[in-house]
Amino acid sequence: MSKLKTKLVAWQRLLCFLITVMVSSIDGTLAVAQPVQEEAFSDRSLLWWSPGEDRPLPAYIEYENEYGRTGLLNTSGVIETDGHPFFEALGTNGRGCVTCHQPADAMSISAATIQQRWQDTNGTDPLFAPVDGMDCPNKPAGDPVSHSLLLSRGLIRVALPWPPVDVETEFDLEVVRDPTGCNTDPVYGIEGEKQQVSVYRRPRPAINLRYVASSRFGVSPFIGKTGQLAAVDPETGRPLNMNMMADARDSTLKQQAQNAALGHLEVDTPLSDDQLDAIQEFELQLYGAQAWDFTGGPLSVDGGPSGIGPQAMADGSDGVLGNNTTRFVFPMENKWADLPEGATENEATRNAFLESVQRGHDNFFYRTFWIKDAMHINTVGLGNPIKRTCATCHGMHMTGMDTANGWMDLGTTNLPWALEPPESPWAEEEPVMPLFKITCRDDLPPHPFLGRTIYTQDPGRALISGKCEDVGTIVIQQFRGLSARAPYFSNGSAANLRELVDFYDRRFNIRYTEQEKVDLVNFLSIL
Amino acid sequence: MNLISKTFMSLAVASVANTLLAAPAPGERISFVSCPIVRDTATVPCWLSEYEGDSYYLTIQSDVSASVQPPLLGHQVLVEGIVTDAPAICGGIVLDEVRLTAMPELDANCNTMLPADDRYIIDFNPRPPGPSAGRLAFDPPPGGSKEEPPPPEGPQEFDIYFDFDKGISFRHPRLLSEILTIAEKLQPSRLVVTGVRGAHLLSDGTLLREAPNTGRRRAEEVAGLLRDAGIAVQGEVNWIDAVADGVDDWQSRRVTVRLLP
Repeated sequence: MSKLKTKLVAWQRLLCFLITVMVSSIDGTLAVAQPVQEEAFSDRSLLWWSPGEDRPLPAYIEYENEYGRTGLLNTSGVIETDGHPFFEALGTNGRGCVTCHQPADAMSISAATIQQRWQDTNGTDPLFAPVDGMDCPNKPAGDPVSHSLLLSRGLIRVALPWPPVDVETEFDLEVVRDPTGCNTDPVYGIEGEKQQVSVYRRPRPAINLRYVASSRFGVSPFIGKTGQLAAVDPETGRPLNMNMMADARDSTLKQQAQNAALGHLEVDTPLSDDQLDAIQEFELQLYGAQAWDFTGGPLSVDGGPSGIGPQAMADGSDGVLGNNTTRFVFPMENKWADLPEGATENEATRNAFLESVQRGHDNFFYRTFWIKDAMHINTVGLGNPIKRTCATCHGMHMTGMDTANGWMDLGTTNLPWALEPPESPWAEEEPVMPLFKITCRDDLPPHPFLGRTIYTQDPGRALISGKCEDVGTIVIQQFRGLSARAPYFSNGSAANLRELVDFYDRRFNIRYTEQEKVDLVNFLSIL
Repeated sequence: MNLISKTFMSLAVASVANTLLAAPAPGERISFVSCPIVRDTATVPCWLSEYEGDSYYLTIQSDVSASVQPPLLGHQVLVEGIVTDAPAICGGIVLDEVRLTAMPELDANCNTMLPADDRYIIDFNPRPPGPSAGRLAFDPPPGGSKEEPPPPEGPQEFDIYFDFDKGISFRHPRLLSEILTIAEKLQPSRLVVTGVRGAHLLSDGTLLREAPNTGRRRAEEVAGLLRDAGIAVQGEVNWIDAVADGVDDWQSRRVTVRLLP
């Protein structure tokens, strides 16, 4: 597509979006949304944002998704993206940060968007660059099979040095299953020329990063859950919360941006200080959350819950523990409890939905179950098992992240809990994820719940720390904008919110009722 | 009552009497390794362990600020404490100065979860099983203080205590940070770290020792962490094996850090 045509399409899209935009009023509060123009959103190909489009990102904009609309709020006003390092193709492969952090997908990227992009470009978009948009860089170009994990689960290949650099590892790593071929490859495999281990992970949303990067709670020179040394900000010398990436390998926004540019964007030269400053400044003023629901209507309205919607994210306090009845994780003040039946059918349906959301919140916050054998939650002084709630682990005010140093093993990548197809003579489903066997050293204590032999699809934090107890631990990520960015979990193993809830139900034997599951999905969908 | 019933009754009485006789007296120290048991209640769960026919109350679930933190199902627990005559809690004999540590190896037999039972009520829980009231169960945490300590003078010594066979863990960030802060003020010229391989004399006479390399592993880990955190002074790392006497043996699982001006 020529540059001129790109710009024309871009402006066409902007006009469509502006119809639905909720603009910031003079005093900074949000006006009520205009009626949605569904035809403007029915074609996902119109939502794609390519690097170098040079169109402005409005101060406030909403994008449609499966459940309603997610709002993005730039508190510094309209972002001029022309020349902005987040939005330009900085790398040799044509990618920009925006390639995997799409505004329409709450600044992450959904599998649906990826599939649409493949269809629209016949797989030629820089998103599908061999470096990590393929299952392995040596796969045949132009073949969707070469990009199977990106297309099916939205997973980007993350290649890490094996063994880790400057770390004494407490375990051996073997490749048990290698459906992508990359971990046994003579060049890219763990015993190949590059000595890399390839794991496959979802891009995290680049919204509300003021919360994600906050070090105001639970941060000290030594990591709260393990006692190991915390990462330090090279600019300030202060310890960091290490809560940004799935394996906490980069702990500042600038480190993440620099390493993403060097790796995912394949830049020739590292980003400059000015570029890093611009990216950080943009990310720290950008907020996002679900703003409108197809059934529930506008979610952030006068007199409604104080913790819902993009403006609430902009107004909220970061680094605050919310697993308590003084701050709450997601403040709702019971505003959607016991609503009137409604004068019209639409109103009745809307109120019933909002009541379901409220019940889902209450379930998340108050409904106890036994949390058992979860590394870095049952091992931090609470006991195994503990009778607690979802909010115990997802306790950070406004985001539902863990409060600090939040990697733990909830079973999303470690067997026996990770999603695996059944092994039987009649099974047709083939495993798609790699499987590693971890053998922990016998001169050290074993993993407290999995022993000395662990099977995992992704060793997670252990690939950085070298610790046996970190195998399969993944940093908990924020709950905002979930509706815009399926699939879920770091390995994309939950295709939708219902599967996410079902995973926890199985993992912790919670035995949710059908109504509880529906309520939880409704609650998660409006965050 | 027929003969069989009388015999059964006599045996039962004798059994109860033996159990009563075997139960340690208040004030007696007790130390044993056994499976922990978790009992649900209408509020927070309580933790028990059985030894020689008696059930001992260990602790309740609260939060990270508790001085006695619950053990782990899936592992045996090493219990140390002093028997009291306090009213039973959750059906268990109450121990004073109780110390718990999970044994490192997995034990699939340790999997007992008992349902809530109206006879056992926990009405002193400082923290409900769900969200808190906005404060830790114990504030400040036991052993902690909000008061600013006086400026350090002369050699400073710190004991860091460990779980059985374990190295640095969640128990240690507070103390390690305190050592770091004092070192910044003291500006020591030397750091001496001594790791101890712990030993326990159990009530049944068994001598329980930690893994052979534990003292060294702990000492090197602590010295390395303090050095990497900024105490970049001449260091000395030692390790020794402890001797157990059955009294506060948990203190033998330690590292002693000395900051010398």
